[in-house]
Amino acid sequence: MTGFESTVRAQVRSQTKSGIAAMIIGIALLVALVAMPWWASQGTIRSVVELCCYIAIAQMWNLLAGYGGLVSVGQQAFSGVAAYAMFALAQNLGINPFFAVPLCLIAPVLLAVPTYGLLHRLDGPYFAIGTWVVAEVMRLLTSNFSYVNAGAGMSLRVMTQYSAHERAIGVSILCALMLLITVGGTYWLLRSRYGLALTAMRDNPVSAASQGVNVSRLRFLLFIAGAAGTGLAGAIYFMAQLRITPEAAYGPQWATVAIFIVMIGGLGSIEGVLVGSIIYFFADRWFGEYGATYLIVLGILTLIVALFARQGIWGLMSKVVDAPWFPTRRVLVSGESR
Amino acid sequence: MQWLDGFIQGILLGGLYAQYALGMALMFGVMRIVNISHGDLMILLALIGVSLVASLHVGPFVLVLLLVPIAAAIGYVLQRAVLNRVVSQDPLPSIIATFGLSIALQNAMQQIWSADTRSIPGGGIEQASWQIGPIFIGVLPVIVLVVATVLTGGLDALLRYTRFGRALRASAADVEAAALTGINPKAVYAWATAISVGILGFAALFQGLRSTVAPSDGPAQLIYAFEAVIIGGMGSIWGAFLGSMVLGVSQAIGFRINPGFGILAGHLVFLCVLIVRPQGIFGRS
Repeated sequence: MTGFESTVRAQVRSQTKSGIAAMIIGIALLVALVAMPWWASQGTIRSVVELCCYIAIAQMWNLLAGYGGLVSVGQQAFSGVAAYAMFALAQNLGINPFFAVPLCLIAPVLLAVPTYGLLHRLDGPYFAIGTWVVAEVMRLLTSNFSYVNAGAGMSLRVMTQYSAHERAIGVSILCALMLLITVGGTYWLLRSRYGLALTAMRDNPVSAASQGVNVSRLRFLLFIAGAAGTGLAGAIYFMAQLRITPEAAYGPQWATVAIFIVMIGGLGSIEGVLVGSIIYFFADRWFGEYGATYLIVLGILTLIVALFARQGIWGLMSKVVDAPWFPTRRVLVSGESR
Repeated sequence: MQWLDGFIQGILLGGLYAQYALGMALMFGVMRIVNISHGDLMILLALIGVSLVASLHVGPFVLVLLLVPIAAAIGYVLQRAVLNRVVSQDPLPSIIATFGLSIALQNAMQQIWSADTRSIPGGGIEQASWQIGPIFIGVLPVIVLVVATVLTGGLDALLRYTRFGRALRASAADVEAAALTGINPKAVYAWATAISVGILGFAALFQGLRSTVAPSDGPAQLIYAFEAVIIGGMGSIWGAFLGSMVLGVSQAIGFRINPGFGILAGHLVFLCVLIVRPQGIFGRS
């Protein structure tokens, strides 16, 4: 019987078995990551750090492009400026490099605010190339800035005060925190109240706005968060490299990697980023030696995915088996009145 | 006097930038399609030019007759095979598709022509200049500027006064309504991209004659073209021409202040225009 006066208890389920299993595996992987200095070789640690940075940068790009509709090809402006700020804090001002990593995130945030203020007036494609101009400006400014040794770049010599083992411990912990913040943070965000707004915005910004979502404010916050997350990855990546130059820090290859990972893996899903990162990581290991040919294939694959399979590999996989690792959908399990 | 010289050289440099920017003004400003590989296509054409000169021993005037049809054919195929599939309100697919194409093109060019910088021999024209008082004005840069002006005028007239121009503007405004009136938007777009890339045939020749080209130069040219279009005002063909002049003068003056500051000065002027007049010089707010 239906009646408006009867008690209606809607129950919404948003966790699944696959999600719980994935979370347990995820926590185990994070523990293994932190424990890496005690079980892995230097080479393995370096590779894993690189993989973690790819995941973080791609996840941030996914947050911007997949949910915010903000397609940027200039995120290297933020990873570069954060890494340079970290080098300056540690090398020039003598701050402990491991503390300099969180501290340096002020730089990408300070850069992101005016960048967004300038570029949000440009829609879609113009926004994308506008971000690229900002990255180029940062590269040229840094190349002329003698405080950070201009075009010659800097070495993180202060790291010699730590043994290789101590450095590995520090970098592993930072990597685990980075994944917790970028991947875990996105997961948390999507499951929170804001998640509904973000998903609505992803599917249709105009109708989301008509439902009371403050689209422009949300986009601004996403852009700032994306800049900070990308900056964190940049700082950790160059800390592991121990050396930075303007060409490496602000190079377009960062955008290429992020776009490839997200598009191949699947736009607008956390799982897609993880799948894409792992594919990119191994493709780079196995085929990287073919240099230009490998990049030609990478470029054409990106083109083909954009033309024919917008949802990427994760999108294709979810059509076959519906077992999300990071479930963010709400399913109504019992809403019938009784 | 060196500032006057900087200004004149900047205007002449702007002539070259206008040739990159015109095609982009057409695609970007009128059709609202973004092509990240715009600069790479220009470099590809210039490198094809280098190879044609080496194998056929032709002069610049014959070369341009070969390059422009090749360019137009590339543009037509690009629109038919790729861009027509991604034309939509959502800009993401076209950005990603052409971004992938850009990466593939850059690396393919590096495989074929190696990473060396090359230039197209012009048979002495590249060194010729007129002297007016203390200022030297190159013959080639003046030719570039004249060609750019003629191309701008021609493209503007094409859009304004021809059947094709009306069909293109109608398709850009509303694809479905245009199709209802008997226009085939996909065919119109394919021809428009053929024109857009065809103009790059001129740009490629002059870039190769005036300076050098290397496979990795494309993104910088893309950014200059983009800045010129935004400075001039979206959708305005003469705006893109004027924007190119502003960019050329900013860079030339910047170089005279400090050689490391030239390109940066252009970017900074672009950002200032975004602050002060985001719709561009000729744009309607």
